[in-house]
Amino acid sequence: MKPHTRSRAVPFWSGVFTVAGREVGGLFEGRIAMISAIAFTLLANSIFMNEFFLSGRVDMGPWFDLMPLLLPVFLPAVTMRLWAEERKQRTLEMLLTMPIRAGQAVLGKYLAALLLLGLFVAAALPVIVMLWSLGAPDGGLILSGLLGTLLLGAELIALGMLVSSLCADQIVAFVSTTVLGLTLVLLGDDRVVAVLDGLADVSAPGTWMREHLSALPAFESFVRGLLGVPALVHVLGACVLFLALNAWVLERKRG
Amino acid sequence: MILVEQISKRYGDFRAVDDVSFQVAPGEIVGFLGPNGAGKSTLLKMLCTWLQPSSGRAEIAGHDVVRDALGARCNLGYLTEHNALYDGMFVQAFLRFAGKLRGLSGKLLTERLDWVVQACTLGDVLDRRVAQCSKGYRQRIGLAAALIHDPPVILLDEPTHGLDPLQVVAFREFLRSLSEGRAILFSSHNLAEVASITDRLLVLHRGRLLADAPLDQLQADADAADTNLEGHVLGLVRAAGEAHRGAARGPVQGGAS
Repeated sequence: MKPHTRSRAVPFWSGVFTVAGREVGGLFEGRIAMISAIAFTLLANSIFMNEFFLSGRVDMGPWFDLMPLLLPVFLPAVTMRLWAEERKQRTLEMLLTMPIRAGQAVLGKYLAALLLLGLFVAAALPVIVMLWSLGAPDGGLILSGLLGTLLLGAELIALGMLVSSLCADQIVAFVSTTVLGLTLVLLGDDRVVAVLDGLADVSAPGTWMREHLSALPAFESFVRGLLGVPALVHVLGACVLFLALNAWVLERKRG
Repeated sequence: MILVEQISKRYGDFRAVDDVSFQVAPGEIVGFLGPNGAGKSTLLKMLCTWLQPSSGRAEIAGHDVVRDALGARCNLGYLTEHNALYDGMFVQAFLRFAGKLRGLSGKLLTERLDWVVQACTLGDVLDRRVAQCSKGYRQRIGLAAALIHDPPVILLDEPTHGLDPLQVVAFREFLRSLSEGRAILFSSHNLAEVASITDRLLVLHRGRLLADAPLDQLQADADAADTNLEGHVLGLVRAAGEAHRGAARGPVQGGAS
């Protein structure tokens, strides 16, 4: 039987969705992602309930306040395996010798991880239902906060994927991503900014890093209901940068 | 169909592949023979675009493996050395995944899936997870994934590894049935196996190509040297080893005055 020669690569988005489809299954194979999502839900909602009963206010703010600390700890459990597992199982060679670009593989895995982030954010649903049944919270503020949570998560996932592509070991990827993610958040904290600014009064490095590097100011503006274009550009720019670096790292790994 | 011109791969001072050139035409099955560490897998990894050559060039179906890597990948089916597969996937889902990434969809994907399942006798394991399959089945799953898009160039790295003798015989027949119009290059360190499948033999040692000849010619050379094919090939490898050691020792100095 003679072959019929194919010289057509898979269309860009078709390749992305094919990788994403496989990855969604892969994320639940190891159960770590599912356990992480459940643990996140229990922890976030139980801490919120404690705050809620103490303050007695029909306000979702305390739930959003937890996100900059919880997401950098829980999302690395999702991202750590995305590339490190491929290398451990030696499937990276098989995947990247298929007729797809590294960028398609990166975006496919990213979409799958975003889907899981959706599960994390869905943890807010019981809280929202409860608040609406007890009073009349500000719906716009909740929606804006949820968007901010999604964007913060999207940035942390892009960072985690980049780190995973650089690490052969999943534990190293997890710890590194957690440290970097927390750094990205804490650089926006007023106390950290004050300490860093104190190191060099003239150049004010803390202020510069909060404005240019930290993910916190953009997140806080969304939680306050300020849907600013600069904040959106900051988060999306960071995501694009991390994903592009991820694709570049993969191409370099071809050796 | 496969064109390799003076290709080399260096890691620092170490030459994993050193100035190798050959061609494989459509319809040819060429066996790559060499001991472990000869450079067989490195060469195949360069042809499948996983590694970039340090110098030289190669083409797959007219597509340069560096400048048009995507075009080259579209035209080849590659079975990796360790045949790493997604263990958690069901066999059918894995083959569909491989087909979709090769640009297949709809009716064509279903037709090709049916064909590889039949050709690689995977009907019994389609509903199993890859991890639950035996080594022989895993090898056939990897082969099916490499063939699902009907590629004109097939690269197989140690394809019979893990197959029992009966499966090796079946594989040999299968590979022969595939050869029409396709360029097939496969590596092995088992001479008897390579000799039973191929038309032509490439012998690689320490990254250098020691022989590139039709099997008949190598057999005639062996007969002329009053030895068998295995002895002849071993002689080539030993002679190359001696020459390498001689070169490493450096030129012999004259006597002391």
